[in-house]
Amino acid sequence: MLESILSYGLAVGAVYALIGITYNVMFSASRVFSFTAGMLGMLGGVLGALFIDKLGMNAILGFVLVLACGALLGVVTEILTVRPVLKSIEQHLYVLSTLAFALMVQQVTAIEWGTDAQPFPALIPIDPDSILAIIDQKFWLPLLACIVTIVGLEFLYRRTLIGRAFLAIAEDSYAARALGLPETGLRMASFALAGVIGAMAGFTGAQMLLAYFGNQPILSFYGFVPVALGGMGSNRGAVIGGLALGVFQQAANFLVGGIFAAVAVFAVFIVVLLLRPEGLAGAATARRV
Amino acid sequence: MSIKRRTVLTGSAAGVVSLTSSLAAPAIAQSDPIRVGYLPALTGPSSSTGVGITRGTELAVDVINKSGGINGRKLEMIVRDTQSDPTKAVNAVAELTQRQKVAAIWGPLNSGEALAATPLIARDKVPMLHPCWVDSLIDVKKYPMAFRMAPTNTQVGKGANHYVFNVLKLKKVAVVSDTTGYGTSSANTYVPMLKAMGAEVVYTNHVDAANPDLKPELLRMQSAGAQAIMPWSVNAGFLSRILNTRGAMGWDVPVVGQTTLGSGQTKALLDKPENWNKVYSNNFRNCCYVNGKLPPRAAEYVERLKKDKIEFADTLLWWVALGWDGAMMMAETLKAAGPKNTDMVAYWNNKVKGWPGIYGTVTWTPEEHNGFPDEDVVMCEVNSLKDGAFNIAPGYSS
Repeated sequence: MLESILSYGLAVGAVYALIGITYNVMFSASRVFSFTAGMLGMLGGVLGALFIDKLGMNAILGFVLVLACGALLGVVTEILTVRPVLKSIEQHLYVLSTLAFALMVQQVTAIEWGTDAQPFPALIPIDPDSILAIIDQKFWLPLLACIVTIVGLEFLYRRTLIGRAFLAIAEDSYAARALGLPETGLRMASFALAGVIGAMAGFTGAQMLLAYFGNQPILSFYGFVPVALGGMGSNRGAVIGGLALGVFQQAANFLVGGIFAAVAVFAVFIVVLLLRPEGLAGAATARRV
Repeated sequence: MSIKRRTVLTGSAAGVVSLTSSLAAPAIAQSDPIRVGYLPALTGPSSSTGVGITRGTELAVDVINKSGGINGRKLEMIVRDTQSDPTKAVNAVAELTQRQKVAAIWGPLNSGEALAATPLIARDKVPMLHPCWVDSLIDVKKYPMAFRMAPTNTQVGKGANHYVFNVLKLKKVAVVSDTTGYGTSSANTYVPMLKAMGAEVVYTNHVDAANPDLKPELLRMQSAGAQAIMPWSVNAGFLSRILNTRGAMGWDVPVVGQTTLGSGQTKALLDKPENWNKVYSNNFRNCCYVNGKLPPRAAEYVERLKKDKIEFADTLLWWVALGWDGAMMMAETLKAAGPKNTDMVAYWNNKVKGWPGIYGTVTWTPEEHNGFPDEDVVMCEVNSLKDGAFNIAPGYSS
């Protein structure tokens, strides 16, 4: 039981964490909470199955193309749904624009791809007798993707000029613009990066979650939980929150099962937010007086 | 009262008009085709059923017209694709009943569309035949002109319960469903039926179909002592996860349930082909192989399909047979009773007794418009698909 809770829990948790990071990367650059993160995750699985299973591409080419599609969708999201509403951000119109775009993409996927779950191929050919086959790749691939992403983001934000520019925009976009930083270009790059991360989450988790248009609301929903638990904008918090959510959810599946597992997850989520509204790793916002 | 010249002229004119129209009307009526509305979903998510049924319907209409039609008049099916969308079905009904003035309607072919369309067809007093399973679609008081040529959901559940309890003689059953309306209502209906038969429902639960790991559910079923699993869902992902988990656990219990268990979508999601062993889904006695052979009516029909080069290996025989039966029932009724709505309904109420369809035998009475017999709902082996039909599940007497 413990083995199953940990293997499934950590793998699903890693997917949730990556979706949470996707939310964060878009939020940092624009102060917009874009509801397209689950859409990117869903498309990662569907496009991966399309490229590799249906069109017969090899796994690496399929993976690269999925990431490229994710980046493109990130840019399109920024241009179509975020940029037009940035001037009146206090009216929170981005909720409507990003959600509408995500729903449109989901409907098109349902029409073109179908409403049934479809298989996602095993990506790495592993001899079943080898030591690598002890743990199924569907469990360790999302974890690996999560580790690579968090290490890559740390490196980007702390060691590179462009990463520091991202942070500058996130901290104070007016000041960053006054210093000559190309705010629009950096925001588009951030959305492209978020697209890559979201698509990677769906791609690496698809052997477990299948290539299914219905994964979108689940990923949007459960991907949001680690952000709220970990604190808005905190990638480390999202990873810890995501993994904890996955393990807790799987434990609830074993202990109570059925629809009560989801109830248990959200009960804990609400309790945590009541106790720490800023999230477990977030800092309370100081109000200027 | 004095008779004026104007009155005489008006009266004569009216008489001439009425005479000409009364003379001309039968001449037109005798040569015009008899129009019947047909509402398949030919596109959209429910289209695989519609496409299969349409092959049978088209063939039947062709055969009827080549052999003289309906008392010398052609049978014309006015086809409107519902696109798997209840709104489109409703629009099509309005057009068929009010503008096209069809004599009757065959369809819709999916319950979601039929739920939206049936009250409107009833309001316009048009006789209606359909093959949808939702129980509430037939109600002799609310919809006195609606008749069903297929089993109800209750009959489908009863067939599965009968197989587990009476044929396989398994007494301890686990019933699980997804959280959709179909899943929960099916499980909530079938569990009391099982208990009433004397079975012990050792585990029952509604599970989120998107849950990627169903091992906890199956472990609970196993530890409760379940001898059979009965999942109620049309979600291929959910069903394949049950089968894959059962395979990974090495748990050799039969899985008995709805037709999606045997669909190509479910098959595509299996980890191993062996995970489809000992899986039995609903089917219909007249369209199943018994000892490698189809029953005589279906065998003869398959020969006709082959002769007419109608493709059916890529669909299901019972869909094609159902399409044929629907059109044949319409033709026979129109031939015997004519196109008047009350005459058609009277014929269905009083004359259809043991009607020998290819898909099933139909009997209607004024009180019962569900025409499909319980004993024709059987289970089949899902991994035995050949030429659109399955082997009947083991244990039935032939």
